[in-house]
Amino acid sequence: MTVQAVAARNEIGARGAVLTYLAVCGIVLLLMMLFGLTMRLDQAQWISLDPAVFYMLMTMHGAGMVGIAGLSGAAVMWHFVRRHVPVSTGVFLANLVLFLLGAVLILGAGFIGKFAAAWTFLYPLPAHSGDVWSVNAAAAYLVGLLLIGVGFLLLHLDIARGIISVYGGLGAGLGVRQAFGLAREADGPPPAVAASTMAAIVNILGILFGAAVLVISLVNLYEPSFAFNALAAKNLIYFFGHVFINATIYMAVIAVYEILPVYSHRAWRTNRAFYFAWVLSTLMVLSVYPHHLLMDFAMPTWALILGQIVSWLSGLPVLLVTAFGALTNVYRSGLRWNVAAGLVFVGAAGWAIGVIPAILDGTIAINSVMHNTQWVPGHFHTYLLLGAIAMVLGFMTYIGGTESEFGLGPVGFWLYLVGGAIFVLAFLAAGSASVPRRYAVHLPAWLPYDRVGSIGAVLAFAGALLLVVQFLARLGTAWHARDEAS
Amino acid sequence: MIQDVVWGGSIVLMGALALVFAWVAAGADMALADYRPAIASAYRLRHWLFALALLVLIGANWRTLGELPYLSSLAPLPAAEIHPADAVGEQWAWTVTPNKFVVGQTAEFRVTTKDVNHGFGLYDPSMRIVAQTQAMPGYTNVLRYTFIEPGVYRVLCLEYCGLAHHDMKTEITVTAQ
Repeated sequence: MTVQAVAARNEIGARGAVLTYLAVCGIVLLLMMLFGLTMRLDQAQWISLDPAVFYMLMTMHGAGMVGIAGLSGAAVMWHFVRRHVPVSTGVFLANLVLFLLGAVLILGAGFIGKFAAAWTFLYPLPAHSGDVWSVNAAAAYLVGLLLIGVGFLLLHLDIARGIISVYGGLGAGLGVRQAFGLAREADGPPPAVAASTMAAIVNILGILFGAAVLVISLVNLYEPSFAFNALAAKNLIYFFGHVFINATIYMAVIAVYEILPVYSHRAWRTNRAFYFAWVLSTLMVLSVYPHHLLMDFAMPTWALILGQIVSWLSGLPVLLVTAFGALTNVYRSGLRWNVAAGLVFVGAAGWAIGVIPAILDGTIAINSVMHNTQWVPGHFHTYLLLGAIAMVLGFMTYIGGTESEFGLGPVGFWLYLVGGAIFVLAFLAAGSASVPRRYAVHLPAWLPYDRVGSIGAVLAFAGALLLVVQFLARLGTAWHARDEAS
Repeated sequence: MIQDVVWGGSIVLMGALALVFAWVAAGADMALADYRPAIASAYRLRHWLFALALLVLIGANWRTLGELPYLSSLAPLPAAEIHPADAVGEQWAWTVTPNKFVVGQTAEFRVTTKDVNHGFGLYDPSMRIVAQTQAMPGYTNVLRYTFIEPGVYRVLCLEYCGLAHHDMKTEITVTAQ
């Protein structure tokens, strides 16, 4: 076999791996959206669920959505970063296999074992089920998360290895020298490498801390006399959770950097501000997590003040670099809109817009009356549903060759955008009216928010269904198609 | 209430940002003959936006960090003006002792839990949150609140704690002076 033939086979294998990721993500996304829609319909009192079923679905929805946000973000990152650094398709596929094994355990814990401690498994709740779920069901959930974490750890380590082998270090991969004016901007790493370096740094640390608290919780399940400090556990869980979910956006945003220029015919400018933003974002994603603990008065006050200030600071790179970059890239570029370009552009907008309610909730005086209300799912659905997942759907449409401006794609796009906007605004409005999050049963006064939110959820689900089904229908063709941007 | 200000401000800012994206998207099909002057203007605008954002950031943090709800940050009160109350959570009930106050009294809730994490959310008679803190195993969080209107206040659990989380409620009665 010639060198060219081996390279071509590897290319097809890599493309197939990315498409397999996206197919899994598309199917799981639809399933998890259905779980979410079911919960909203129950809160709206249009259907009736047993609270045990509601909270089990809530747990599955949270874990599943965080999982596929990570998995689909990883697909975007891996697809683009492998143009610049050597990465292993085997490790990439191992991550998918471990994810699926973990998902089977988690779904089994929920649907068979009735596990319902929320995706955040806040210590010591897994061990205090009130006779709803067994110790083994809780253990299955925690081991499932561990398996998924191991897969992501391997993937990030492999990408970090590739970046170090080409650029000489993670600092160089992030563009630290360019950020501080110590090297020419033109010699800096491409956006996909900078973003992948950041994701590797934060997620390797986040997953290690997450694994520690998962193991602690597992030991506590079988040996209750092994007690752990609840505040320390909360710190570990929220550090891991915050880092992991934020990394999903920082991986998915590579789709904006790579796909918009294909259609706008303008390269994404990487300058000093761009690299500085990525360096700053790396530090802030690692240090901002105390904003999840603002109502834990036992925390050191300085840490909570730091959480507030870093929350505000962390909006600057998103708004003034990524959002601004997307706007200037598209501005009077002659771009002819299609579904792929539209979705990644909406993704940049959704991320930037979602930053506003997030920053406000990270303000201690506001958090005192907004924490754990529906304001929280309101803001994170804005930058996940309309941000990260819109970017992923744009990537799916782009790589699947279904970006046409005709057909069902545009219908799916508009349903997703309009439905998503209604859905998140209903959450935010409910949060401002003090409606608590994570309640299986709502008061009559809260029903209007739930009903409007349910209508938005139906529309957003229909939009996602059209986009994902189109992708799946063309999967065979996409498998053998040449990547237009490669 | 603060929630209304936050909601209104968010809608204005989110709407403004959405309009900017929509405006750029709507004009994207027109191609500039020379992109360089436009990008130079945009980058100048970004400097101004950065300065404005820094001003807002400093101002907002300066203003709000002076209003922290933590005991260590509150002005000291004479012991006679503080009305202590124990608030203990457990799956799935709150016990608040005492649970009767008079308008103008400053309650000092000492919040803890016997089992898992709970959230002590204090709702006023119109069912809006006026204060909250977490109830954590092994810790007692102190929350002060001065009642300003009479009526039935409710304590709801604001940290997911299992099957009957939504039913974990109790009442506090506040009478006029």
